[in-house]
Amino acid sequence: METLAFQGLIGLSVAMYLWLLASGLTIVFGVLGVLNFAHGSLFMLGAYFAFTFYGLWGVNFWLAIALSLLSVAVVGYLMERFFLRHIYNQDHAYQLLLTFGFILIFDDAVKMIWGGVAKIPAMPSFFEGTVSVVGRPFPVYNLFIIGAGLFVAVLVWLLFEKTWWGKMVRASASDREMAGAIGINIPTLFTGVFAFGAMLAALGGALGTPVRVVAPGIGAAMIIQAFIITVIGGLGNLKGAFVGALIVGTLSAYGVLLFPVFELFLIFLIMAVVLMIKPQGLFGG
Amino acid sequence: MKTRLAILFLIIFLAVLPAFAGKYLLYVTIHILLLSIFSLGFNLLFGYTGLLSFGQAGFYAVGAYGCAKILLVYPSLLVGILGGVALAGVASLVLGVLCIRHTRIYFSMLTLSFGMMIFSLAWKWRDMTGGDDGLVGIPRAPLEVPGVFKINMAAMESYYYVVLGLSLLAIYLFQRIIRSPLGLTLQGIRDSETRAACVGVSVRKYRLLSFTIAGLYAGLAGALLPPLESTVTPPVAHWSHSAEPVLATLLGGIYTFAGPIVGSVLFYLLKDIIVRFTEYWLICLGVIVVVLVMGFRGGVVSIFLKEGSRR
Amino acid sequence: MKEIIRTESLAKYFGKMAAVHEVTLTLQEGLFTSVIGPNGAGKTTLINLLSGYLLPDRGKILFQGNEITRLGPDRRVRMGISRSFQVMNIFPRMTVFQNILLPVLSRLNKTSSAFSSLLSQKEAVGEAEKILGEVWLKDEKDFPAGELSHGDQRLLELGIAVASNPRLCFLDEPSSGMNPIERIKVLELVKKLAAERKTTFIIVEHDMDIVFSLSDWIVVMNRGEVLAEGRPAEIRANREVREIYLGEEI
Repeated sequence: METLAFQGLIGLSVAMYLWLLASGLTIVFGVLGVLNFAHGSLFMLGAYFAFTFYGLWGVNFWLAIALSLLSVAVVGYLMERFFLRHIYNQDHAYQLLLTFGFILIFDDAVKMIWGGVAKIPAMPSFFEGTVSVVGRPFPVYNLFIIGAGLFVAVLVWLLFEKTWWGKMVRASASDREMAGAIGINIPTLFTGVFAFGAMLAALGGALGTPVRVVAPGIGAAMIIQAFIITVIGGLGNLKGAFVGALIVGTLSAYGVLLFPVFELFLIFLIMAVVLMIKPQGLFGG
Repeated sequence: MKTRLAILFLIIFLAVLPAFAGKYLLYVTIHILLLSIFSLGFNLLFGYTGLLSFGQAGFYAVGAYGCAKILLVYPSLLVGILGGVALAGVASLVLGVLCIRHTRIYFSMLTLSFGMMIFSLAWKWRDMTGGDDGLVGIPRAPLEVPGVFKINMAAMESYYYVVLGLSLLAIYLFQRIIRSPLGLTLQGIRDSETRAACVGVSVRKYRLLSFTIAGLYAGLAGALLPPLESTVTPPVAHWSHSAEPVLATLLGGIYTFAGPIVGSVLFYLLKDIIVRFTEYWLICLGVIVVVLVMGFRGGVVSIFLKEGSRR
Repeated sequence: MKEIIRTESLAKYFGKMAAVHEVTLTLQEGLFTSVIGPNGAGKTTLINLLSGYLLPDRGKILFQGNEITRLGPDRRVRMGISRSFQVMNIFPRMTVFQNILLPVLSRLNKTSSAFSSLLSQKEAVGEAEKILGEVWLKDEKDFPAGELSHGDQRLLELGIAVASNPRLCFLDEPSSGMNPIERIKVLELVKKLAAERKTTFIIVEHDMDIVFSLSDWIVVMNRGEVLAEGRPAEIRANREVREIYLGEEI
């Protein structure tokens, strides 16, 4: 019983990384109509930047996170402004191919700049140690991740529901032409949304640096799960992405415990079932 | 007429290649043929039916592992290859039912996911697939029909001819398919799914058909691998391998018959050249993809066609 | 006169809005019928429901006595219903000839034939050529359909619709987006097809000249419901109809 509860908590912390990755993916799809295959690479870049600022240059942890978000936002800006923007009107296939090309570029670029060896950075001192949960040691950092993930979820919700920018974004998502007609600068807005989505992914990567390995391919490993989450939750649906992340996160934690070799299979199974019952996703419309 | 002569010349060239080419060149040519078959299947789905799959390597792997497992217990080349192809066909039929019901974006995501699911199975299911060590010691079994003939495959040249023969057959069949009513139906679905339905075409059925044929071709390419390399390891199922037919087809030309084949040749040429200068082969590939998508859709073949297929 | 298509309390909602509300309608075979009404009246939604492009929330549709309410568009085509679209819906990368050939092949049940070449399908090829001639596109036979002029694309659209040899054919605003010259050509073609083929046409149209010159029967819709139906003269005299068109000359 305690093992289940403990594993559930681990699943929750995994879910938060997945939520940060999937949220950006689903927002970008919902607003721009683009499925960014390279989204996982942005997660990876977030981890690498944070590792550089915090692990290599000794910058303050919080500042390092902020800087890495900024850096990836710039990368996202460049991607959208100079490449993606020009193929919005075209067959989705070209968007997928283009973002796929970016995966290849980022993967190797990361090897070129940082070398191919995996990095293991240090834990910031105030998060060191463990807390006793149901009699077992649970890393304090994981608690932080859970808290941070929930906090960001609330922030993002507030952003889209209550702020003026959020309202513009939602208007543009539901009717691009109309929004343009009432004076919203669609191209700029889109660039902003893309950069925002990139930052969410980067946050996931950056927050992971003290505990997770920083290596090429970490984004690719998670992007599949991010896809599954968005499929389960419904493409473009933030609430769905959050719920989906919780499902996938806890399932993979339990899966590791109960079906050690086939936990990924289990997640695929869930996705297949959801698709058969409700193809637009649990919250999709 | 000119194209027919060119094709004839090419076939003759390939047929006499072993006379003057070394083992390594034959080896590379075999790989080019495998990628061609792999890419043709991919392009049936993409260029002709409008479905972009990032998971074809999954079926390649089923073909490869299937053939390998068969050859390890029953060393007959024909049985191994046919078995691998059949297994890949079944896998693509089953997964196809799940994938083709969805819009094109979901479809692409799903194929990527299923491809990687097969990869994780190959990687983790030690008992069946050998895990990350893979399957080893696969014999290059003789080509035999019991009681009729038995041809030893130890020499690279012999295996080369088997691969060449099967490739030409596969290419010929492919050509028949795309020029048939079935081929036209698939193109109709690509051009306008709604319109196709409104002229009486059951879109789902034909997409599944296309997906299965693509899976069979991927399986054939995969099944021809184990006798060549004598091992099969999980990377054959990885999405980066699924990327190869995508890139080859992009390079050679998406909406054309010969595109994937030309692209496969280019792919290997490029790889060979780039790898001599830098180990960062992926980034060059990525840049090429970006350039092609941003500006140069028709691929190389379009340069030679009178009406370029630029969108 | 035989009924060709009938609806019973057909309804379709988008959110809380009823695009089509409790429509009970019977249309006769052989009568060229126009569906008219102001924007948002539900005309296109009705056609979409009848052709299988949309599924209704309530009600039934019967074609020649058989219920087809939940059948997909491909099934309906095989039963003898076809349509054209308001927004051009052709096969752009295929040639004009192939655009017509596909529906013919589909009708002859040859679409799964995988190893015979297109040209060897003599029956289909012959028929397709005939239809090409009917829609005045013989010269453009080998052009990619996407490269045709707007007006010619519309002719092709009509060609595709009749190529499946339907008993019932819906045309959704066939002259939409045409300049005056193209418009005349399209209308001439519709007239010709209606006269020469055993097909009952039901069209959605805004242009009143077209409606009144071609139709044997007119259905007027307003706000998702059928306001009136009858022969052109009756409709012209109907006060309610005149009102919704706000004094337009009809």
